[in-house]
Amino acid sequence: MAEPGETITLLGPSGCGKTTLLRMIAGLESTDVGTISIDGARPEVARATKRVGFVPQSPALLPWRSVRSNASLLLDINRGASPTAPSASVDDLLAEVSLTDFADAYPHELSGGMQQRVGLARAFALDAPLLLMDEPFAALDEITRAEMRHLLGRLTAPLGTTVVFVTHSIAEAAFLSDRVVVMSARPGRVVEQIPIDLDHPRHPDIENTAAFFEITARLRTSLQAGSP
Amino acid sequence: MNLLRRFFAPIVGIVGFLVAWEAFVRIFDVRRYVLLAPSRILTELFATPGFYWDNTLITAGHMLLGLAISLVLSILVGAALASSRFSEEAAQPILVLFLVTPWVAYFGSIKVWLGFGIAPIIFLAAFTAFPVLTFGVVGGMRSADPSARELLASVDARPWEVFWFLRLPAALPSIFTTARFALGIGLAATYFSEGRSNRTTGLGAIGSRVDLQPLTAAEVLWTTVFCTAALGIVVLIAISALERFALKWHASQR
Repeated sequence: MAEPGETITLLGPSGCGKTTLLRMIAGLESTDVGTISIDGARPEVARATKRVGFVPQSPALLPWRSVRSNASLLLDINRGASPTAPSASVDDLLAEVSLTDFADAYPHELSGGMQQRVGLARAFALDAPLLLMDEPFAALDEITRAEMRHLLGRLTAPLGTTVVFVTHSIAEAAFLSDRVVVMSARPGRVVEQIPIDLDHPRHPDIENTAAFFEITARLRTSLQAGSP
Repeated sequence: MNLLRRFFAPIVGIVGFLVAWEAFVRIFDVRRYVLLAPSRILTELFATPGFYWDNTLITAGHMLLGLAISLVLSILVGAALASSRFSEEAAQPILVLFLVTPWVAYFGSIKVWLGFGIAPIIFLAAFTAFPVLTFGVVGGMRSADPSARELLASVDARPWEVFWFLRLPAALPSIFTTARFALGIGLAATYFSEGRSNRTTGLGAIGSRVDLQPLTAAEVLWTTVFCTAALGIVVLIAISALERFALKWHASQR
């Protein structure tokens, strides 16, 4: 159960079913038992009304579209369900992810981190109340990863968007989340849920505080307890 | 330097080829029915340029109409096949059958079926190019990024939106590649069917009726071959130019 505006991270090793769970919430995969509801609606309904912003693992940019038109791609599709008065224009979002100068560039001209920033802008452009992110920074180098999680923290903070974030990075889980759901593999199950009591907005510097170290240690212990 | 090479190298190649051809015919005294020297072809061509120009245009029209119909059909059929593994596998042997059966043999039947106008010519050009283009369309559409498909699914994209925003652009590189093969097959089929049709215009029609002009038969025959080849090269250049423009984003054009 996610509270509105909450950021929940699904943290666990490969094969624990965290991506499958995310795909179920996105309505891309059906559930065998149990039900999922988004604002009281079934995932298929939320999907049809574009109330879910999805950020896949690879940036999945269309190479024939410019950065700007990649960022607006999800608005161009299923137009009837697009927001009529979005809170931010695509150009504003590109400015927020520092890509204004690259709005007319093509994906092959961008670095991996820049490509995934377009992926974020594309998801935020929908103005959806729920964002689902499937290890979006997994393919990036450590330095870019850190920048990306700080950027994502900045983007989500003022919007009150609910975020479900899948990762196997403890630092990402600790920095971004209000609550971390630790999962284990074979069989895939939830080990425990750990609330992250760090104040918002979170500045990158908190990653050097004792409280942050304590949380990452706690998450690591919990992950190890779940592994056979 | 690069630019110079790009325009200069093909010209050197062509001129070198023509010179070797001319030399071969003269040195070995090849009979003109077997192979005509390029100098004789050019003499014939410039003796009646209007005649060859008009007939080349007619052949170009037949071929382009046939290929255009084939392209549209292959995109429609290819999109359907690309969306279902089962239908693709079911269609595979049929397409191969279209590709390998000797159309030379059954063109007479096509004429009986479609009558004596240009319809059989257009049909054969379209029919022979169709399997090649369809393979290209299906392969290209299958190459669309799976995570982009997921992304479109996450906003409930309609099938036509997946086609238009993702699958068709993703298929373009492979369509351009196969279009070159389709052009070769389609042009040969056009030349052949013009010759077997009841039409009297078009390069194939002239080339197959050279016995009406016994004195210059070899000249006329080889000049139609020359014009057909030139037509193929011009269309090939047009395809390459279009490709450079349409696929600026693609790795092959960088």
